[in-house]
Amino acid sequence: MEFTQFLNELWIARGALWQGLQLTIAVSVLAIVLGTVLGLFVGMVLVYAWRPFKLLVRLYVDFIRGTPVFVLVLASFYILSVIGIQLTAFQAGVLAITVFCSSHVGEMVRGALQAIHRGQTEAAMAIGLTFRQTFQYVLMPQALRQILPTWVNAATEMVKASTLLSVIGVAELLLSTQQVISRNFLSLEFYFFAGLIYFVLNFSIERFGRHLERRLAVY
Amino acid sequence: MMRGIPKLVGLLSAVAVLTTGVANAQTKSKLDEVLARGKLIVGTGSTNAPWHFIDQGGKLSGFDVDVAKIVAKALFDDPEKIEFVNQSSDSRIPNLTTNKVDMTCQFMTVTGGRAQQVEFTIPYYREGVGLLLLANGKYKSYQDLKAAGSKVVVSVLQNVYAEEMVRQALPEAKVDQYDSVDLIYQALNSNRADATATDQSALRWFMSQNPNRYLDAGYGWNPQTYACALKRGDQTWLNFVNTALHEAMTGVEFAAYAASFKKWFGVELPPPAIGFPVEFK
Repeated sequence: MEFTQFLNELWIARGALWQGLQLTIAVSVLAIVLGTVLGLFVGMVLVYAWRPFKLLVRLYVDFIRGTPVFVLVLASFYILSVIGIQLTAFQAGVLAITVFCSSHVGEMVRGALQAIHRGQTEAAMAIGLTFRQTFQYVLMPQALRQILPTWVNAATEMVKASTLLSVIGVAELLLSTQQVISRNFLSLEFYFFAGLIYFVLNFSIERFGRHLERRLAVY
Repeated sequence: MMRGIPKLVGLLSAVAVLTTGVANAQTKSKLDEVLARGKLIVGTGSTNAPWHFIDQGGKLSGFDVDVAKIVAKALFDDPEKIEFVNQSSDSRIPNLTTNKVDMTCQFMTVTGGRAQQVEFTIPYYREGVGLLLLANGKYKSYQDLKAAGSKVVVSVLQNVYAEEMVRQALPEAKVDQYDSVDLIYQALNSNRADATATDQSALRWFMSQNPNRYLDAGYGWNPQTYACALKRGDQTWLNFVNTALHEAMTGVEFAAYAASFKKWFGVELPPPAIGFPVEFK
């Protein structure tokens, strides 16, 4: 009886949960894509830029990485509105997770670039490649391959971090689930269901990452 | 039910208050701003029946929602000219101080501390706490719980005053605090708690939604006043909202208020006496 009750409530709540899932995916994809693009830039600055820039970005990375995502979410929602930037809860949330993602990807890129032996750069220059060509054809392909496993890990972290947006009122999957639970009080069942969906999401990302790794493997 | 404001949110909003307080000294009343905008922006939650929750049709409903609509009706003669901002309990004060909402109606308990940060309207409900038991559980009444002393575990919504509040009724009981309303019921259902201390309003709503599964221990205590909150420093706006709420409870909008009260709390309100104003009885 309990289970049929759950199925019945699930059917009633399907629209709300589907919308929540879409928001979760939207937030996660936006934050991962924007965060990765920004992170690549951050990583490059950390390795190649003029020293003052490097220091500035290093400060940014350390500050963001040292701050809980929760605080970043609250800060982008409240602090920005004080200086006159009124972001919606969705925008503020995406911004917070994007920034968080960029600092992590930045560190990965830095690490990967620095792990490539200096001899390769020297060899590339010796055969007459410009810096840009060296970066594009020699360093970046290796670095990207290097960061792929950790990047997949970071991507799943962003999906999980998206749950924090419930605090500022973004009705993503977690908050939608809580809204359903507050109506029917089937908390165990619906939290389990939400957990299952998060698992499926992250498992898909992981499989996708594995697939990419195999496709891109050189040996 | 009231919830503690974590230091974090408090700190962020304090920063917000400090900076905005100086920057935009109010010249025009919020009342004019809202009228010009053509809709009222109200902050409330979405996860606490019967106060503010998403009903089966996906619409935000509840007593807080109805109270906010009464204010919208007073403004625009149309209760639907309203936009709800979905906020957690922790966001009630920060969202006011950072101008994200015109008004918050979210079962907000009036306390001296909060009244220093926001402006409270007149009350629209008086809450109290009761104890919920499982119908087939070990304890059947408040006397049973009291007699069992320290063996009793009470689940309660996390709150600065939660422990103290439970101890007023059951001095020896072990108090387990949970993060959300559904979890306090879950604790009772899974026998992690022997009783759930919760608001009388929630208790009545929950029992009506789950007939025959629960008992009311039959003891109520701890009065709390619920009022809407506004940003500080706008007497015109405060007066307007107060007038709207006052007339909902004693005047022209009484029918709407009473219908909502009946719907969510199952109680029929006696109409205000005609003749001498009830305020001066």
